[in-house]
Amino acid sequence: MRNSTPPGRFLVVDDNKVNRLLLGRGLELEGHLVEFAENGRLALDKLAGQSYDIILLDIQMPELDGYQVLEKLAGDLRLRDIPVIITSAVEELDSVVKCIEMGAEDYLVKPVKPVLLRARINASLEKKRLRDQQRELISKFATSEVAQDLEASGFSLGGKYVEATAMFADIRGFTGIAEAQSPEDTIELLNTYYTLMFDAISGHAGVVNQIVGDGLMAIFGAPIAHAQHCEQAVRAALEMIELIGLFNIEQASLEKVQIRIGIGIASGQVIAGYTGTTRRATYTCVGDTVNLAARLEAHTKVIGQPILIDKATQQSLSQAIQTEAQGEYQLKGKSHLVEIFSVLPG
Amino acid sequence: MDSQPMIDPAAYSELKASMGDDFIGEIVAAYLEDTPRLLDELRQRLIEQDAAGFSRAAHSIKSSSAALGALTFSALAKELELLGKQGNLAGAAEKVKHLEYEYLRVAQSLQALSHA
Repeated sequence: MRNSTPPGRFLVVDDNKVNRLLLGRGLELEGHLVEFAENGRLALDKLAGQSYDIILLDIQMPELDGYQVLEKLAGDLRLRDIPVIITSAVEELDSVVKCIEMGAEDYLVKPVKPVLLRARINASLEKKRLRDQQRELISKFATSEVAQDLEASGFSLGGKYVEATAMFADIRGFTGIAEAQSPEDTIELLNTYYTLMFDAISGHAGVVNQIVGDGLMAIFGAPIAHAQHCEQAVRAALEMIELIGLFNIEQASLEKVQIRIGIGIASGQVIAGYTGTTRRATYTCVGDTVNLAARLEAHTKVIGQPILIDKATQQSLSQAIQTEAQGEYQLKGKSHLVEIFSVLPG
Repeated sequence: MDSQPMIDPAAYSELKASMGDDFIGEIVAAYLEDTPRLLDELRQRLIEQDAAGFSRAAHSIKSSSAALGALTFSALAKELELLGKQGNLAGAAEKVKHLEYEYLRVAQSLQALSHA
């Protein structure tokens, strides 16, 4: 059994020196690294500066007691997933229940028996490692905003209304381009294209939530609210056009194919949330606003402008961005005429 | 009462076995250093009629004493902890005096055991 799990970093919080020594010794004999704090306040000081795998927490302490520490931990995104094991006297079991309700993972009755200590900490360490792995996976397959949102509010299918800006972009005549060159060149082109687009979008607090073929959908203002989502989306679009221009100069010098993109942007209420099944889900936004952005993107081909936006977006923009009214159009799926504006390069 | 050993032999030898022969000396030393301080605090809290602080100091004495096998002494500390929790420090002075007296015997027994 011994050393079956790799060593962990422990913070032992107890106002009694003998208890600290006993717990610390028990952990060190298991090969773990141990640091100590004499009360809740000192524990939070330590937690602010260093990371620990598990906290062993006494309940009754001067300065800040165990409950207050749990409360602080629960309110801190960085700290709230560190497993806390409560160490308590046997007659304090009522308090232990309260601690577990407040987020503590487990408890040990003092005086602590070494066998029990070993079993509990190994179980908690294992859970902690699984959670860390899970988080790493999420950050790899989701945007950092979605990962943050998942961490903050947990995962649940279902949506809510939010004010946001939706953006669609794709490469003009991509099918023709793909047919004219090798598959390797096409994939390389797409990878470069996506790298540039992601940079421009995430640089303006946007989130790319779908990529299909040569098209992408991005959202600004969700899952994390942003007051200037219209402005940010349009600025991202301008940067996308600029980056494509630079990319084309490079492509021309290599005698490779050049590309043009079209971008449609619309703002308003969207339904945002995780859709799919509990096995496979994605963060997405749907609704009229999203449809309009897609229609505007398609319309860039019709009127030969790279960036088209709706009136709601246009009206929220600062003076620094120049737009030009393009008139009213009947767009597919819309019962009313839609006022369209183009964005002029800055 | 006097027939009861101050330190429960089974609890003490179990602790010694799990912590190692060297380390038990360190723990006893820490206990002998820390407990008089906690007893002082207990008396101080009583003077101030600070029931919560009184209870906390008694709780701490109870906890480390139980760990070292000073079970009867720990039970006395627990009585004081409860008085503090109930906010009733009347009559606590006698019990604190008794606790201090008992501590001397605990300390003697521990010193003897750790040098054995």
